[in-house]
Amino acid sequence: MNFEIIVVGGGHAGCEAALAAARLGAKTVLITPKKETVARMPCNPSIGGIAKSHLVHELQALGGEIGRNADATGIQFRTLNTRKGPAVRATRIQCDKAAYSKRMLNVLETTPNLHIAEQLMTEFLIESNTVVGVIMDNGELLYSAAVIFCPGTSLGGTIHVGDVKEPGGGDGAPASHGITEQLRELGFRISRLKTGTPPRLDKVTIDYNAMEIQPGDYPPPLFSDPLELPSLFHVEHPETAQIPCFLTHTTAKTHEIIRSNLSRSSLYGGHIVGTGVRYCPSVEDKIVKFPNHASHHVFIEPEGVTSPLAYPNGISNSLPRDVQDALVASIPGLASARIIKYGYAIEYDYSDPTQLFPSLETKLIKGLFFAGQINGTTGYEEAAAQGFMAAINAVRMVRNQNPIILRRDEAYIGILIDDLVTKGTDEPYRMFTSRAERRLLLRQDNAQFRLCGRAGEIGVVDQAILKETNIAELRIATEIKRLNSLRVGSHSCLELLRRPEVKYGDLPCALNSLSGRLVCELENRVKYEGYIMRETKDAARMSGIESTLIPDSFDYVSTPSLRIEAREKFLRIRPRTLGQAVRIPGITPADISILAVFLRRHSASIRNQL
Amino acid sequence: MNADSDTIVGISTAPGAAGIAIVRISGTESLAIADQIIRCNRRISSLAGNNMAHGFVADGNDIDEVVVLVFKAPHSYTREDVVEIQGHGGSICARRILSAVLRHGARMAEPGEFTKRAFLNGRIDLVQAEAVIDLINAQSERAASSAIEQLEGKLSDYIRTCYDKMLTAAADLEYSLDFEEGDLGDDYFRKIAELVENVNVTLEEILNTWEEGVLLREGLKIVISGPPNAGKSTLLNGLLGRNRSIVSETPGTTRDTIEEQSVLEGIPVRYVDTAGLRDASCTVEQDGVRRAKESIATAGINIRVIDGSAPLEASQKPEEWPNADHWLIVLNKADLGLVMRKSDFPVNLRCVECCLHDETGIKTVRDALKVMINISTGSTMPHATISERHRAMIQYAQNELNECMILLKQRGEESAAEAAAALRRATEKVGEITGHFYTDDLLTKVFSRFCVGK
Ligand SMILES: Cc1cc2nc3c(=O)[nH]c(=O)nc-3n(C[C@H](O)[C@H](O)[C@H](O)COP(=O)(O)OP(=O)(O)OC[C@H]3O[C@@H](n4cnc5c(N)ncnc54)[C@H](O)[C@@H]3O)c2cc1C
Ligand SMILES: Nc1nc2c(ncn2[C@@H]2O[C@H](COP(=O)(O)OP(=O)(O)OP(=O)(O)O)[C@@H](O)[C@H]2O)c(=O)[nH]1
Ligand SMILES: [Mg+2]
Repeated sequence: MNFEIIVVGGGHAGCEAALAAARLGAKTVLITPKKETVARMPCNPSIGGIAKSHLVHELQALGGEIGRNADATGIQFRTLNTRKGPAVRATRIQCDKAAYSKRMLNVLETTPNLHIAEQLMTEFLIESNTVVGVIMDNGELLYSAAVIFCPGTSLGGTIHVGDVKEPGGGDGAPASHGITEQLRELGFRISRLKTGTPPRLDKVTIDYNAMEIQPGDYPPPLFSDPLELPSLFHVEHPETAQIPCFLTHTTAKTHEIIRSNLSRSSLYGGHIVGTGVRYCPSVEDKIVKFPNHASHHVFIEPEGVTSPLAYPNGISNSLPRDVQDALVASIPGLASARIIKYGYAIEYDYSDPTQLFPSLETKLIKGLFFAGQINGTTGYEEAAAQGFMAAINAVRMVRNQNPIILRRDEAYIGILIDDLVTKGTDEPYRMFTSRAERRLLLRQDNAQFRLCGRAGEIGVVDQAILKETNIAELRIATEIKRLNSLRVGSHSCLELLRRPEVKYGDLPCALNSLSGRLVCELENRVKYEGYIMRETKDAARMSGIESTLIPDSFDYVSTPSLRIEAREKFLRIRPRTLGQAVRIPGITPADISILAVFLRRHSASIRNQL
Repeated sequence: MNADSDTIVGISTAPGAAGIAIVRISGTESLAIADQIIRCNRRISSLAGNNMAHGFVADGNDIDEVVVLVFKAPHSYTREDVVEIQGHGGSICARRILSAVLRHGARMAEPGEFTKRAFLNGRIDLVQAEAVIDLINAQSERAASSAIEQLEGKLSDYIRTCYDKMLTAAADLEYSLDFEEGDLGDDYFRKIAELVENVNVTLEEILNTWEEGVLLREGLKIVISGPPNAGKSTLLNGLLGRNRSIVSETPGTTRDTIEEQSVLEGIPVRYVDTAGLRDASCTVEQDGVRRAKESIATAGINIRVIDGSAPLEASQKPEEWPNADHWLIVLNKADLGLVMRKSDFPVNLRCVECCLHDETGIKTVRDALKVMINISTGSTMPHATISERHRAMIQYAQNELNECMILLKQRGEESAAEAAAALRRATEKVGEITGHFYTDDLLTKVFSRFCVGK
């Protein structure tokens, strides 16, 4: 069978990739072992959170599915960081785990140009360093011009519970074997990482009275525009049916149990070699590294409306089962809680992401793209962002168009990919707002506006929506002008609105016709104008080097004056712009000056040849 | 990394060159900056290209009487607007002018940056690209080594401590933004503000000691060493023109290092007299010898004084001279008849024969030093330039820290994101001095201070 795009793996990266490719009109096939397990959430069933929410809003603006899927299947909706200014405000939606997969599958199945093959891929078909297709478990060959590989944690996956280990891809998925070996043979550098998940509890065996309740926010904050939300709801409408989370904590007894069983943990017992996540530590880690903390938070989160499971957020571990039982029982409210699934740690293979171009195409094999956890990231949102961009660029490659590379001052997606392909990572990479140089420009609230042009260029989002965004943009600009011209006493309305305590609605001249979203964006632009201008200016200063392209044909080898170390790094990373070259660890300003001079000579000599 | 669109400034004359010092500004803002700092009977920006004017550089008080040359784009070396300010010789004046220009918005030129711009703007022929690159390479090497020299000792300790405190404050602030969803309380942000304030006080102190300490920090270190009784202290006194160090016929008179500042070839130097090198028995002297060896290791120029009238014990005559260009051998006591001669030393070593008791002997040594200074300091990257770069960075950081502090004090948590942006800019700038990379350091700090995650 022939396709334009093959997507391998129906996780968060794969689903976004398959949808984006098909929506751009490319004939696409998604290969995944079981339809029912697409977009599953092996860990915490929530989408968004600080910095991750920014990624989701950006995907929403560009035409991704993750935001809408979370909105439609959410059971608890919250805005985080409400008191800390718009740059770090974030949406977090607790989803019904089963509904999340089910709705995503429905979207996949109803998208034109998209086929699903319920198979495992076993081998890439490679001809002279170009991928031409894949072989599946049933022996069938599929051909295509590009393959997007999104296997998640299943490459060489090993699951650890205490000192017991077995192969597995996490959350019941099979481990993939043989593919790592083929990739190594092709020359890829592959290493190990690890992550873990807490036990799941039977929700009716929990005593919620001993815990603090955490209700959702009303009205529920969403990733997509409420008006656009499709009618397909697997979950009761949230406004009437949000489900609360609960807060409890570990005790001295919990810590004692863990401490005395450390040698039986697969982490501390020396069974695991992969690097773990510093910011999502296991409970063993927390107790060893922070011995002075008497107690740690544990959030009890429902996995769904009808699911019997509750997710105890905060006690991820890989201890033997009897220790997990004792550990859980030592937590207030969980004295008689029953564990349905035990916690575990998983070790898996990932490929050094500096082996990718910023388009996410591998440097070694033409037409082969990697997205998601295989690139060393962790998180559904990080995976979705890569899947989307890989698909866009795969389709563009097939159509002989230049790749679209989002800049760091334009989107967190740009930061994510630039960090990965420029610096690589040796621990699971997660997004933080502090990774952004110019955080005040990259608000979740303005994603739709700052990415409107890019969305047009990409072509997934409906033209009508982009037009509406442009109109909204105009309305904000007009309204700011109007506020500037109206006076109350000796001040203009604009000056009044700049004061921290004044809201748009407080102004005597406020219009009722502006939607909540526009009011929010307008307030941000007015109140933070000084800071935004400052960062815009800083970004503009750098736009020169950020837009200086380094042609792929650039010959570092016969650039003799470069330091050897610099030459090796340039050759390995093959930066696309001078700006990217600057960020390669160990590169000095002098290296960049020299590169700039040679680039100039290079382009002049090309001009002379023409 | 810096943008090619910035207005840049640098000292473009050799540090020691007598007569004049030239400070060159290039970029769109150069005329505007010149207008602000030059007092003259006409505005510098009103001059036609290729013209000159006479005036005073003033930034508060008068700094120097100068001649100003104006070149307008594209008829200049870089093809941008260029202003050259020619002041009186000496690095101090040039540095003050530079400092005034930096305060008005230019940034310090990177090594070879003027020539790089000339090239990028098409002024220089493509064939010359190699030459441009060699220049960048040579200058950046020198800049790097001088920067390290600059940061020796206390100053670098102070700056490193500041960086670390800033990072701690940043980690606390970032933690509140990226991880903590609960209420941290106003006290939390007040404490960060206090830490930032504390750093600002230290930075202020560093800047205050800048002027007075400048000679001490920047003077080219010339270390006089050798066996006991060779005439080291005699040489120090001769070079200084006054009796600073005790001279006596008893070997082992000088027991500790003695430092004295002076000026040679227009640049500040620091002479260091040391204890005679021998296997000393008393601990005071042993200490002196150890310090002498440390001085030798950190010297810009080393003078080895040897009594040439007596044969040298084998242990006193090193076979190997690492960094031979940094050494000057003085064969002293020629008046007593030399039994050792220049020819007893490797040909690549600079060596003079003289009698330090008389003025011509001292002059012989001084002349040899002058030649060495001009070679060792090179042409366009005086130490002063580097320290000025640091000063500008520290001042920038201070402004940002101030903003951060005010925001946190006035609005606490609500302004945490804006305060963090200012703190980040400050920390990145100071990290440029100490060679640290912000984001990586920051996350490491956050994870070591806080138990984050679920
Ligand atoms: C135990 C565990 C704990 C985690 N904890 C956290 C956490 O605390 N916080 C966090 O942010 N993230 C966590 N994650 C990570 C998060 O689940 C992933 O980052 C995210 O799901 C990655 O998306 P993906 O699309 O790359 O891969 P996945 O979502 O893993 O999807 C991969 C898909 O590819 C399929 N597949 C694999 N190989 C093949 C093949 N050869 N042929 C066909 N299909 C194939 C799989 O069956 C699966 O459907 C955890 C993951 C696991 C497993
Ligand atoms: N004849 C002669 N004597 C000299 C000359 N230079 C120095 N001396 C004498 O040598 C003796 C030692 O001189 P210093 O300058 O004290 O020697 P030093 O190397 O500092 O000795 P330390 O005390 O070991 O540090 C003194 O008596 C000087 O007067 C010279 O050129 N000719
Ligand atoms: Mg002496």
